[in-house]
Amino acid sequence: MTPDLRRRRALGQILLFAAGLLVLTVISAGSVYLVNKARDDNAWVLHAIEVQNQVNALLLQIRRAESSARGYLLTSGQQFLSDHETSVAAIMPAVDKLAATTRHNPVQAESVKLLRAALEKRLAQFAQEISLIKQDDRAGATALVREAAAGDPTGIIRAVATGMISAEEQLFAQRTANADRSQTLAASMTGIGSGLVVVLACIAVWLVRRSTRARDKAEALLRDANVHLEATVDERTADLREANDEIQRFAYIVSHDLRAPLVNIMGFTSELEELGKDIFRRIASLTRNSAAAPVAASADGAGLVLDDPDRQLSQDFSEALSFIKSSIGKMDRLITAILNLTREGRREFEPIMIDMREQIEAIVTTIAHQAAEANAQIRIDPLPDITSDRLAIEQIFSNLIDNAIKYLKPGVPGQITVRGRSKLGYAIFEVTDNGRGIDPKDHQRIFDLFRRAGTQDKPGQGIGLAHVRALVRRLGGTMSVQSELNAGSTFTITLPIKWNASNRNRES
Amino acid sequence: MSKPVTIIMIEDDEGHARLIERNIRRAGVNNEIVPFNNGTDAVRYLFGADGSGLAQRGRALLILLDLNLPDMTGIEILRRIKENKCLKRSPVVVLTTTDDSQEIQRCYELGCNVYIVKPVNYESFANAIRQLGLFFSVIQVPRT
Repeated sequence: MTPDLRRRRALGQILLFAAGLLVLTVISAGSVYLVNKARDDNAWVLHAIEVQNQVNALLLQIRRAESSARGYLLTSGQQFLSDHETSVAAIMPAVDKLAATTRHNPVQAESVKLLRAALEKRLAQFAQEISLIKQDDRAGATALVREAAAGDPTGIIRAVATGMISAEEQLFAQRTANADRSQTLAASMTGIGSGLVVVLACIAVWLVRRSTRARDKAEALLRDANVHLEATVDERTADLREANDEIQRFAYIVSHDLRAPLVNIMGFTSELEELGKDIFRRIASLTRNSAAAPVAASADGAGLVLDDPDRQLSQDFSEALSFIKSSIGKMDRLITAILNLTREGRREFEPIMIDMREQIEAIVTTIAHQAAEANAQIRIDPLPDITSDRLAIEQIFSNLIDNAIKYLKPGVPGQITVRGRSKLGYAIFEVTDNGRGIDPKDHQRIFDLFRRAGTQDKPGQGIGLAHVRALVRRLGGTMSVQSELNAGSTFTITLPIKWNASNRNRES
Repeated sequence: MSKPVTIIMIEDDEGHARLIERNIRRAGVNNEIVPFNNGTDAVRYLFGADGSGLAQRGRALLILLDLNLPDMTGIEILRRIKENKCLKRSPVVVLTTTDDSQEIQRCYELGCNVYIVKPVNYESFANAIRQLGLFFSVIQVPRT
């Protein structure tokens, strides 16, 4: 999975989560709002019924007052009078209550005002009726009752009350519809919201399952790759080791077999030299014998002198032989070097804890004489300690310091510094000098066997750095060089701080 | 060295053989030298056709052995000599170019009496062989 895809997927999951949260919030808020609204609507529905009830109750009281007044007119019974008084007393409080209940509805409040005015007039009529009856003016009272029944206030009361009731009926219908709508809305909102949440949850589950599957697959792949990689690494390591062994064997055999003919060449060259001496001695004595008296008959022929052309021949002969012999000597040194290298390559390492500062100081002590001769100062900075093979470390650093002293600029006091630091389990050592430096084009070449760089004014076989690099590699490290011509050199060696078992020790 | 001692020289390089012989002679050793330039012939001579070594019974032998032979290793010949009832008392001088410490150890473990590395430098070589010749002239060699 690419990082980009992974980031996009993570973003998608966050968005999904946010959407779910938003939906839940909206649903909750909407539900609360709608439920409140439905409750309000229901309250208003009840309110309409309440108003109707109160109007009806008021009308009932008026009827009772009227009928009890009529009863009193007919019978003059005290019973009717007290009934009438109770009813009349109840009317105004009922109107007050109605006014309180409908005060927020301007239309109904206006109606209540009309009703109140009509009722006041009607109540005055009642009072007049009752007082006429009490004065025994029955005819007057009857006329009044008749007038009142057909009069204005009664009509207004009936009309206004009926209007109020029908208005409330309309309100009731309207509010019932509102309440129904609110409830339906709340229900559908909850339903849709729940559905959305379920859908989001399903998507989330699907996403999680998909990523789990992808992860499992990736893990399996990784595991396979790891196993495969280990196998490959083992295989390659074995191949490399085999190839290395083969090269070592090859070098060993070749150098060995080269030595045998070299012994012959050297041997017979020496024999030839002896032979040449014998021959020229004989030539000398023969020349002498033929030329003059047998003066020097001595066997050793020490006093024999050759003629000029013969001396020339003898010198050429010796010169040829000396060239052959010096070449053989050089070849022998090279072969010996290869042999030593292969032998070094086959040595088992013995890892021990090395106090690097002590080690480098010991090396510096052994070459103090050369350093003094070359007018060189060697400074050792604090160095990290490592676990490694002491002999190998000694060879590596003595070679490098030796080279630093050997290739200083003539006439310039040498400054050689050994520095060290540790990084990520590796110790990094630097051997820096202010010597003649190495041309960058020769940086690879100086690590090759028998190859050297720069002015060839110092003795050497071109083995040191090849040997050092081989050792560093076998110790599990790397080495490199930074240098410019006439600007000094820095050799950097990186070695593992801890010895690990897989360092290239032979598994024999 | 008493007269009847025979020097068996097993050396595949004829030049080396010639140089060795010459320098042994220069040390004043006049014993018979029987040269072989391969392992097979040498083994046949030493152990006889039946491989028992009885053919050499009663002779005094000194064996000069090179380790690098074309047909077999000198170590194999050394092992067979030192395992043979008749030949095991004969001194064996390993004279070879190999200066590998393991090889040297192995030869002495198998019973070689002297191990000499051939120096490339001829002066050292001649010197070594001459000293070996002097050594031959003073040691006693048992009969097989």
